[in-house]
Amino acid sequence: MSGTMVNQELRLDPAKAKLSSSIAMIMALISFSMLFATLMLGYFAFRFTSEVWPPLGMERITLGLPTMSTAIILISSLFYLGFESSFIQKEAKKSKLYFYSTLALGCLFMFAQTMLWSKLRSEGIFTGTSVFASMIYAFTWIHAAHVLGGIIALLFLLPTISGKRDHDKSLSLVQNVGQYWHFLGIVWLIMYFSLFVF
Amino acid sequence: MAFYEQHIHPKPTTFLSKYVFSYDHKVIGKQFLWYGIFFLLVGGLMALMIRWTLAYPGQAFPVIGHFLFPESGGAVPPDTYAMLFTMHGTIMIFYAITPILIGAFGNFCIPLMLGARDMAFPLLNMLSFHIAAISGLILLGSLFTPLGAAAGGWTSYPTLSTLIGSPGVGQTLWSLAIFTLGVSSTMGAVNYITTIICLRAPGMGYFDMPLTIWGLGLTAVLNAIFLPVLGAGVLLLIFDRVFGTTFFLAGAAATTGTGDPVLFQHVFWIFGHPEVYILILPAWGIVSDQLSFFARKPAFGAKATALAMTSITILSTLVYGHHMFTTQMSPLLTQTFMTLTMTISIPSAIFFANWLGTLWKGSIRFHSPMLFSMGVVFVFGLGGLTGLYLGTVTTDLYLHDTYFVVGHFHYTMAASVLLGGFAATYFWMPKMFGTIMNEFWAKVHFWITMMGLNGVFFGMMLVGYGGMHRRIYNPFIYEFTQKLIPINTFTTWSAIVMGLAQIIFVINFVHAVFFKKEKASDNPWEVGTLEWTIPSPAPHYNFKEIPVVKCGPHEFGNPNLNSNKDFQYQTEELA
Amino acid sequence: MADKLTFMQMISPPEDISEHGHLIDYLFNYTTTLNIFFFLLVCIGLFGFSFLYAKKRHPKPYYTYGNKKIHILVATIIGIAVFIGIDLNITRMSNNDYIGIFVNWPDETREDVVRVQVLGQQWAWNFRQAGADRVFNTEDDIVTLNDLRVPAGKKVVFQILSKDVIHSLYFPNARRKTDAIPGRITRMWIQFNKPGNYEIACAEMCGTYHYRMAAKLTVYEEDDYNHWLAEAQEIHDAVNDPEDAAIYWGWKWATNGKTNKVGMTK
Repeated sequence: MSGTMVNQELRLDPAKAKLSSSIAMIMALISFSMLFATLMLGYFAFRFTSEVWPPLGMERITLGLPTMSTAIILISSLFYLGFESSFIQKEAKKSKLYFYSTLALGCLFMFAQTMLWSKLRSEGIFTGTSVFASMIYAFTWIHAAHVLGGIIALLFLLPTISGKRDHDKSLSLVQNVGQYWHFLGIVWLIMYFSLFVF
Repeated sequence: MAFYEQHIHPKPTTFLSKYVFSYDHKVIGKQFLWYGIFFLLVGGLMALMIRWTLAYPGQAFPVIGHFLFPESGGAVPPDTYAMLFTMHGTIMIFYAITPILIGAFGNFCIPLMLGARDMAFPLLNMLSFHIAAISGLILLGSLFTPLGAAAGGWTSYPTLSTLIGSPGVGQTLWSLAIFTLGVSSTMGAVNYITTIICLRAPGMGYFDMPLTIWGLGLTAVLNAIFLPVLGAGVLLLIFDRVFGTTFFLAGAAATTGTGDPVLFQHVFWIFGHPEVYILILPAWGIVSDQLSFFARKPAFGAKATALAMTSITILSTLVYGHHMFTTQMSPLLTQTFMTLTMTISIPSAIFFANWLGTLWKGSIRFHSPMLFSMGVVFVFGLGGLTGLYLGTVTTDLYLHDTYFVVGHFHYTMAASVLLGGFAATYFWMPKMFGTIMNEFWAKVHFWITMMGLNGVFFGMMLVGYGGMHRRIYNPFIYEFTQKLIPINTFTTWSAIVMGLAQIIFVINFVHAVFFKKEKASDNPWEVGTLEWTIPSPAPHYNFKEIPVVKCGPHEFGNPNLNSNKDFQYQTEELA
Repeated sequence: MADKLTFMQMISPPEDISEHGHLIDYLFNYTTTLNIFFFLLVCIGLFGFSFLYAKKRHPKPYYTYGNKKIHILVATIIGIAVFIGIDLNITRMSNNDYIGIFVNWPDETREDVVRVQVLGQQWAWNFRQAGADRVFNTEDDIVTLNDLRVPAGKKVVFQILSKDVIHSLYFPNARRKTDAIPGRITRMWIQFNKPGNYEIACAEMCGTYHYRMAAKLTVYEEDDYNHWLAEAQEIHDAVNDPEDAAIYWGWKWATNGKTNKVGMTK
């Protein structure tokens, strides 16, 4: 909503307005990455000070579901790239297809995450099992909350997709949501490698 | 450079759109100001209760004690005492100083001083205040929960702040409130930075910005980068409390698994040390400007001051470890943090040189904002120099967690910032509310505050050097603190004097805002920055026409001036 | 008692009873001297300029941006003078003291040191000295509550741990404190010199009764200490119930010179 109001209300020069919204987006992304960086700092602090990893009483998480999630979110990022370029070239049909695929994959990612949580629970791994389990739960929760925010941001693009909003005015919104969406993909990739693979 | 002209908002007509859901940065600034003053009074009252307990433990708090603590006969009980100092710290730092300096004057000054019609994202700005309001309500609400509010200190170290040490819902609400406030401040910070980068009036380079904007801008950068770090920390704390994770549990406290309570300290101080500068940078900016405004002389080495602020901003992120010397980091880390901490004194010394250079050969007018600004120079000198004892590891081994630390950080964070906030309030009053505050009472307010404040905080340092440790309910049960009783009593009475002096301010302020008939002129202080080129109070669209900037903000006493005034508006061509 | 003291006596720190406490006092006073000097400079500038250049005495300000070479030079010199004059100076001194003494752990294989294990809990200090077998966490350990007795003239090495929340073992008379952290042993060594009765406090906020978490410190002459030790051993052997698991809160004494993370055993 903030994007809408700002764009309608204030700007005379869309190019400059675009600049300011992308500067804001960069700052916001820096903030978000500091949040995740702090989580990773905690992870590495535990990882490098403990003698055995994973800590006692736990085994590695099987890679199936996390790998699937990784694939989903990466493909969704690719679809979003496709959406962006087809949106710029005003190919309405193609961009719609790409956009809805991205949205569907986002929802699928959330579904995969809930699967992961219930699988962990059924294996007897709870939040308090060990600090490793705590991290898996807490980090994926926080990431999932951000993905949820990303899905909501995608929904704000719906009027743009259905052609109800001016194409040029929506462009910076499309790009900003895209940056956020790719950012979430990158964060997940880092989490995937640090929490599950290594 | 990157300037674009914003539309003029339609003038708000209904009460709600004008005062509650306003997009106008000036109204949002005033909302933050009232919010901050309200919490300042709450936090101040808590401070008085703490001080009273320290001087007269077990005795009824005067006037309202019997009403607040009926079970203990009016005296503050020990558990309430812990809540009081926790909430006092939290409220003063996050809910009083931050809203006043950054929320109120950040919002009010940035667009006006840059020559913009509003912030880059007015809606984001409005939401930022509303989220802060929600956060304040959560925090106040936590005072009325069954087991009381958070009582683990404003630092909330685990494992005291986990379920082991504080079982009630108060600590959870505290964490939630801090997280919410962090979201609000981050939104504000993103907005400030974008505004400063994109909405400077045509012709205004970064070094043509008033130093106030430099201070506020660097604060916003620190906020945007480091508030999320605290956010992550308290989020994990909430998880530990609510969902049974074990990040910060260890030893016998953890039934399963082992976390690390010291990790929270690292995270907290990675944020916490920059937070000190988040609070003080706006005050530095305001002081640097006002010394020049009232000495009628360009700010001495303004560029150097701006660069020194920037380098302090960078250094502040590298030194957090000096808060944790007693947790026994490796000696190498200890040495590193000690040495890095010491380098902060270079830019600080440059500040002082420039501040005094500004006064040198000036023509000083002692109006109330100037008095408060000079007060900042004085108390920050004391606060900064006493930091040296705490930055060197061996003296810190003795002084850590004593009242010396309390005195030191009150000098730097409370005294300087408070005085800076008062300077700003007195100074921008005409532009905010269209009236000027009573000058005589402002000066009375200054001198009593100054005396009380030095009595309180210097007294704290003295008892700290005497060995009295902090956060204790009754200092008299130890033999080695017995001899400090008179100083404690003196400190308490200084605090009471300082507290009472604020009544003068509140009356003066409320009178000027609501009752004063006499309107201030457009430029009562005869200053050339952009906000003084427009009528007082500022109209809702700020600038009818976007100004074009031709010179710097501190153009005073230029010998080539041909008009009969001794200053030059930033929109005027330099002769 | 308090009214007889002079102001200086009132604010002076508690009596220094340790071998190295004077280093901290010395550094404090040294820093204070330098601070007073620099703060006086600030005050002279602030009040002097306020007097000299008030509007009525000095109506016409001197127009300068402070960007002349001489101005920049003076500001830089002040900055560097503060940095080298105070900061580097006290950093060096503090560093020497810290590395040379405070974390220069006594070599326990050669030196005869007194070893004490400390366990903080809400709101009391537990002290444990190995009994006759000199091995910790055995049934002949001398365990005391809020009562630490050590000999004068010998190095005392503490290993500190906490049971619940973070505490801080604070000896005001030795100018030292070290945090007691759950799950992580911290260390400190002090040599006490003056026999007598003193106090120990908890410096880190640890809950409602933080202010009452005090312990007694008794420093004995060496002979008295040995006497007490023997006596305490006897009483202990009579009273201790080896079957009671609660008395085994100690840990194996680690001399490897590293602070280590521990999971509490037993």
